[in-house]
Amino acid sequence: CCPQVHSLQELRRSASLATKVFVQRDYSDGTTCQFQTKFPPELESRIERQLFEETVKTLNGFYAEAEKIGGSSYLEGCLACATAYFIFLCMETHYEKVLKKISKYIQEQNEKIYAPRGLLLTDPLERGMRVIEISIYEDRCSSGSSSSGSSSSSSGGGGGGAGGR
Amino acid sequence: MPAASGKRFKPSKYVPVSAAAIFLVGATTLFFAFTCPGLSLYISPAIPVYNAIVFLFVLANFSMATFMDPGIFPRAEEDEDKEDDFRAPLYKTVEIKGIQVRMKWCATCRFYRPPRCSHCSVCDNCVEEFDHHCPWVNNCIGRRNYRYFFLFLLSLTTHIMGVFGFGLLYVLYQVEELSGVRMAVTMVVMCVAGLFFIPVAGLTGFHVVLVARGRTTNEQVTGKFRGGVNPFTNGCCKNVSRVLCSSPAPRYLGRPKAEQTVLVRPPFLRPEVSDGQITVKIMDNGIQTELKRTKSKGSLEVTESQSADAEPPPPPKPDLSRYTGLRTHLTLATNEDSSLLGKDSPPTPTMYKYRPGYSSSSSSAALPHSTSAKLSRVNSLKEPNSICESGHKPSYRSEPSLEPESFRSPTLGKSFHFDPLSSGSRSSSLKSAQGTGFEMGHLQSIRSEGTTSTSYKSLVNQTRNGSLSYDSLLTPSDSPDFESVQAGPEPDPPVGYTSPFLSARIAQQRETDLHGRFTGAISPKHAPPREPSPVRYDNLSRHIVASIQEREKLLQQPLAPGREEDAALPDSGIQSTPGSSNAPRTSSSSDDSKRSPLGKNPLTRPAPPRFGKPEPPPALRVRSLGSSDQPATPHLGKSVSYSSQKPASQASVPEAEEVALQPLLAPKDEVQMRTAYSKSNGQPKSLGSAPPGPGQVPLGSPTRGGVKKVSGVGGTTYEISV
Repeated sequence: CCPQVHSLQELRRSASLATKVFVQRDYSDGTTCQFQTKFPPELESRIERQLFEETVKTLNGFYAEAEKIGGSSYLEGCLACATAYFIFLCMETHYEKVLKKISKYIQEQNEKIYAPRGLLLTDPLERGMRVIEISIYEDRCSSGSSSSGSSSSSSGGGGGGAGGR
Repeated sequence: MPAASGKRFKPSKYVPVSAAAIFLVGATTLFFAFTCPGLSLYISPAIPVYNAIVFLFVLANFSMATFMDPGIFPRAEEDEDKEDDFRAPLYKTVEIKGIQVRMKWCATCRFYRPPRCSHCSVCDNCVEEFDHHCPWVNNCIGRRNYRYFFLFLLSLTTHIMGVFGFGLLYVLYQVEELSGVRMAVTMVVMCVAGLFFIPVAGLTGFHVVLVARGRTTNEQVTGKFRGGVNPFTNGCCKNVSRVLCSSPAPRYLGRPKAEQTVLVRPPFLRPEVSDGQITVKIMDNGIQTELKRTKSKGSLEVTESQSADAEPPPPPKPDLSRYTGLRTHLTLATNEDSSLLGKDSPPTPTMYKYRPGYSSSSSSAALPHSTSAKLSRVNSLKEPNSICESGHKPSYRSEPSLEPESFRSPTLGKSFHFDPLSSGSRSSSLKSAQGTGFEMGHLQSIRSEGTTSTSYKSLVNQTRNGSLSYDSLLTPSDSPDFESVQAGPEPDPPVGYTSPFLSARIAQQRETDLHGRFTGAISPKHAPPREPSPVRYDNLSRHIVASIQEREKLLQQPLAPGREEDAALPDSGIQSTPGSSNAPRTSSSSDDSKRSPLGKNPLTRPAPPRFGKPEPPPALRVRSLGSSDQPATPHLGKSVSYSSQKPASQASVPEAEEVALQPLLAPKDEVQMRTAYSKSNGQPKSLGSAPPGPGQVPLGSPTRGGVKKVSGVGGTTYEISV
């Protein structure tokens, strides 16, 4: 059957957003754009560790490539200077090109890996490259499965009651 | 100019940029109009061409610096910071190339500012790699437009030099008559150029140095790296190339929002559950949801710790780290946080917001969460394994053993514990105990320390655990005072603070019962044999027994005269609330001996400990509050306390715990602790015998049928059954 592109709103009839995990930046090497490859505990039961780490590592590689200072970026700068930066009106910068690649990659990862697991990656560019936001979706039909580590307050209350009483 | 009152339009902020633009364009235009024709005619046509190129460069960079987004961070969305709202610390530290860098929470933008980011008050935005806000271009200079600003400065300096130089040439060579209009204009232009040259060149030189050093104006002016190392520098050449040759960074604002075209539809694939996860789940005991929440909350802490350490991440402690505002707990929280996060030296005075709401939430539930969070995250660590094992115990028991170590450990952690948890809890509790004990010196009881130091939920746990543990250990008939001291009446955790007083009352009641026996007793040697104390020492380990016997022998001889004196001495300060419990006194004295500067009392009147139990297994010897005992005594006390840690009988646990408690307390704690103990355990002053001098061995009441009375400073008397 022909695939339909559903808006996310429509999708939420069956899958509801449970929580969001934020993968923070890794500043250990200065301000170069890298994200932490540490596996968030909330994803323990949702996705294999290795898949996640691979995603983040690939993203880090992309960002490193974008920020690379080499011949191409130097030439680009010279050209921009020479044209009094009018060239920016016509041509997109090296960084922007890589960002487009990243965006495509994230989309592809979402389609292939994350969405089937009820997760969704958000391009960090939307967050100012500070975090990778991973939305965790819950199957609304099933009974609030606990394995997703839902942070809803209702389950929190239940947990509270169980504590050492 | 339009009125600036109603709107945000402030004409004043456009004045500098307008002036700069006017001067720049105006002066240059005049130069081109009046000076250049003569120059090109009489010297070279290349001059105007050159100047034109330079001027174009200046204009281009000036425009880019003015109109380009400097790298403004978009405001964080609500869901990103919903957990951090008012429970987050003000600062987070992150390690960059071995140097601790602080990230401050931006209340406006709702995120922790990345390193080198700063919030511009003029623009009301957080700017990436914030350099400064330049009024001449009416824009922030940040990551994206610093290059253009720098080039603008360079080119402007060049341009000014050119204009001035060629104008001078024009004047000097008198290309045309001196009094002409052109000459006059040239001279005016030269003056303007000369006037602006000094500040512009100065600023250019300043920024050349900054670029070479890899610093921003903000960092330079605030002196961030004044004495230290700049973690953001990669060497002069790389710094320069990074500024000039790197690809322009993208802008974050004003981007078209990407449409999400990916379907998220159940059923969802799930990864296979590993063994470690299973273990965690068992432990969780149904509190998993909160666990996850805690973890996600703690993700930032974990993050922090990850960047700070190479070690496995410590357990998340969202509770602790989320306190702000209560400055009294500042150091405590800092220490705890740092001890937990494994920072070698927390560089920032972390400020924590108070989170009253958290205590109301199921505290005991939250604790286990963080505990199990730790467990699940560090499956491979040894400690979690022990905890995992102990996790099979009732959850309320096991989980708090990790988290509320600060308050739990003083009471339970170090004791020769009845609880198999102790192996895990002890090691971890030591860490935090040390950290917390010192901080909490001003608090009167360990319980109360625990209360104020961290969330209330942990206090609840402590209370319960304490009572539970004691209940299980003590002989059923007895030790109400112990319970009152340690566990307190079951009620509310905050009351834990009052437990010493409560226990004192109870102890008083007990003492009145026993008082008759001791009235008029001057020498504990002659004290009549008491009825069996509530706490049985039968099962004390051999080491304890041996050490106690040793002390008895040591102290028996000089004790007699000393005792009488002690009895006569007034209670000098640490009020000994009459109390007849035995073990607790042991602990306090054992620690007292170690710490001299407790107060005048301890030093002036180290009271010999009294042992009140006639039973064959020697009770723990109690070191009186006097710290001036023989070195052997502190040793003994210490050995007693440590030996008491060995798995020993349950009966001896309470005392052991108290004994163990003492080493954990900081000197500041000690006074209060002793006060507490003395209140609960103290015999009437008349019974207490303070040794006459510092050299006096305070220990050792001769056993009268196995009951030793130890009197501490201030008339506190302890009874230990021997």
